[in-house]
Amino acid sequence: MKEIKQLMTMAVMLKVRAGVIKRRKVENLESLEETVASTSQGLSEEKSEATAIEDMCAHPGSFGDMCFLCGQRLIEQSGVTFGYIHKGLRLNNDEIDRLRNTDIKKSLNNKKLYLVLDLDHTLLNSTQLNHMTAEEEYLMSPPDSLPDVLKGSLFRLDFMRMMTKLRPFIKTFLKEASEIFEMYVYTMGDRAYALEMAKLLDPKKEYFGDRVISRDDGTQKHQKGLDIVLGQESAVLILDDTENAWIKHKDNLILMERYHFFRSSCAQFGFNCESLSELKSDECEPEGALANVLDLLKRIHKIFFYELEGNLIDRDVRQVLKTVRKEVLKGCKVVFSRIIPSKVQADSHHLWKMAEQLGAICSTEVDSSVTHVVALDAGTEKSRWAVKQNKFLVHPLWLEAVNYMWRKQPEEKFPVTETKSKTL
Amino acid sequence: MFFHIVLERNMQLHPRHFGRNLRENLVAKLMKDVEGTCSGQHGFVVAITGIENIGKGLIRDGTGFVSFPVKYQCVVFRPFKGEILEAVVTMVNKMGFFAEAGPVQIFVSNHLIPDDMEFQSGDMPNYTTSDGSVKIQKDSEVRLKIIGTRVDATEIFCIGTIKDDFLGVINDPASV
Repeated sequence: MKEIKQLMTMAVMLKVRAGVIKRRKVENLESLEETVASTSQGLSEEKSEATAIEDMCAHPGSFGDMCFLCGQRLIEQSGVTFGYIHKGLRLNNDEIDRLRNTDIKKSLNNKKLYLVLDLDHTLLNSTQLNHMTAEEEYLMSPPDSLPDVLKGSLFRLDFMRMMTKLRPFIKTFLKEASEIFEMYVYTMGDRAYALEMAKLLDPKKEYFGDRVISRDDGTQKHQKGLDIVLGQESAVLILDDTENAWIKHKDNLILMERYHFFRSSCAQFGFNCESLSELKSDECEPEGALANVLDLLKRIHKIFFYELEGNLIDRDVRQVLKTVRKEVLKGCKVVFSRIIPSKVQADSHHLWKMAEQLGAICSTEVDSSVTHVVALDAGTEKSRWAVKQNKFLVHPLWLEAVNYMWRKQPEEKFPVTETKSKTL
Repeated sequence: MFFHIVLERNMQLHPRHFGRNLRENLVAKLMKDVEGTCSGQHGFVVAITGIENIGKGLIRDGTGFVSFPVKYQCVVFRPFKGEILEAVVTMVNKMGFFAEAGPVQIFVSNHLIPDDMEFQSGDMPNYTTSDGSVKIQKDSEVRLKIIGTRVDATEIFCIGTIKDDFLGVINDPASV
């Protein structure tokens, strides 16, 4: 019985092989077939066998609805569209995995990881020209009469009716990050905007190449996904100011403090104060968010390649990110005072989670091991206890600043004041 | 492959173009309308080479436009499966490379690039043999074989291969 089976499989294999050889022949014949109408029986017979072989093609992806391996027209649409690379290009999941696997080896050899960068509020800030206030009029003057600090970082794009300000430190950031990362741009703006901004950031096209992704290319509405990034998820870091855009990839995300230069941008997020543009000021270049995050990226890169043990391929940058984050507030014990509503489970509050992710221990009760009391009002019982026991009493903004900066912030910069009104 | 064929088209002309120059106006409009377009049946119209015959005009009711049936000779370009083409590389990436032969967009997947050529990233991504003697990058000229075509109303897509004898780079822009 067994022998018969074996014989049969061998016969099948032989058939397949014969088919392959025949197919080669057919390919040559086929070239004639379209120009010279032929009715020879032999040809049509061989041709049908050839199509049978073609059906065995896995169709790893398509260009213009044709399989790019066998050239066959595909009726069914499958896989993910990679419109940002070229119109009409689609790849199947297996092919994406294959590409990622070959690419990651090469990247790791070159000591490079992947970095996905958001545009608005992370690398730059844009406004529409008609939303500019009277105090911002000075920005509209011709480029050579602009204040020196704005030269080369403020761009007026009349054809898009927009003005764009690059975040301070951006040039150094891109240059140094490009040495240790393969970089992508990923924005919720449309394609035209994304390309225009990429041109401002990377006029020589040395950083991003064709890796510019816009919302038109995403696979899910109002979400960003790493499914269209050709990098292994275990080696991708993301810089973005919007956490909710990356629901599936929070572990890869480094949250950025939003960059608001223009008044309209502040207003959009509900800040009713004078903007940097109106104050004729800007983020500090050597100590701003980008300089700080570049430092962090370098640290992570160093840990990933030089301090971890085991095979390069098995290392996971998300794990590194988590460990580095845990170091930030290590040794701190935090108590919240009147911040978490009593009906809410304390450890489900976002500040509680944030503190824990940063490595602090959270507690609901005060004791001598507590180091920080976070409160909005200096008049609460725990706040007064903190002052009396010489513990740090800080505003919740301290925790957020720590979260953005990835290092402990001076506590005295975030004082808590006593509020007189005790109506609540 | 190029073909020299005769096509026919009904041209609508505004009455202001009538007069001594009617024929010239008609031909000029024909060239503007037809050259560079693509039809699923004939492929890409490269150039009009001559006018065979202009038929009797027919006044359209209500508008005053006159429609002329025009027969013209033209050169068309249509790629075929199995055809060998020379094309210019426009973009190189991990997946393979894109090339153009006139209006035709061709994609050559890295499955169909010889196995000894490997992808190199950088600001000028390319496929190179291990000894560095052959390099495919943007603006390289390659000879490739078409294995699949799709002709749309406005565009022609092709799948190509260079994994066969006598295919590959014809000249290297870096060495010029």
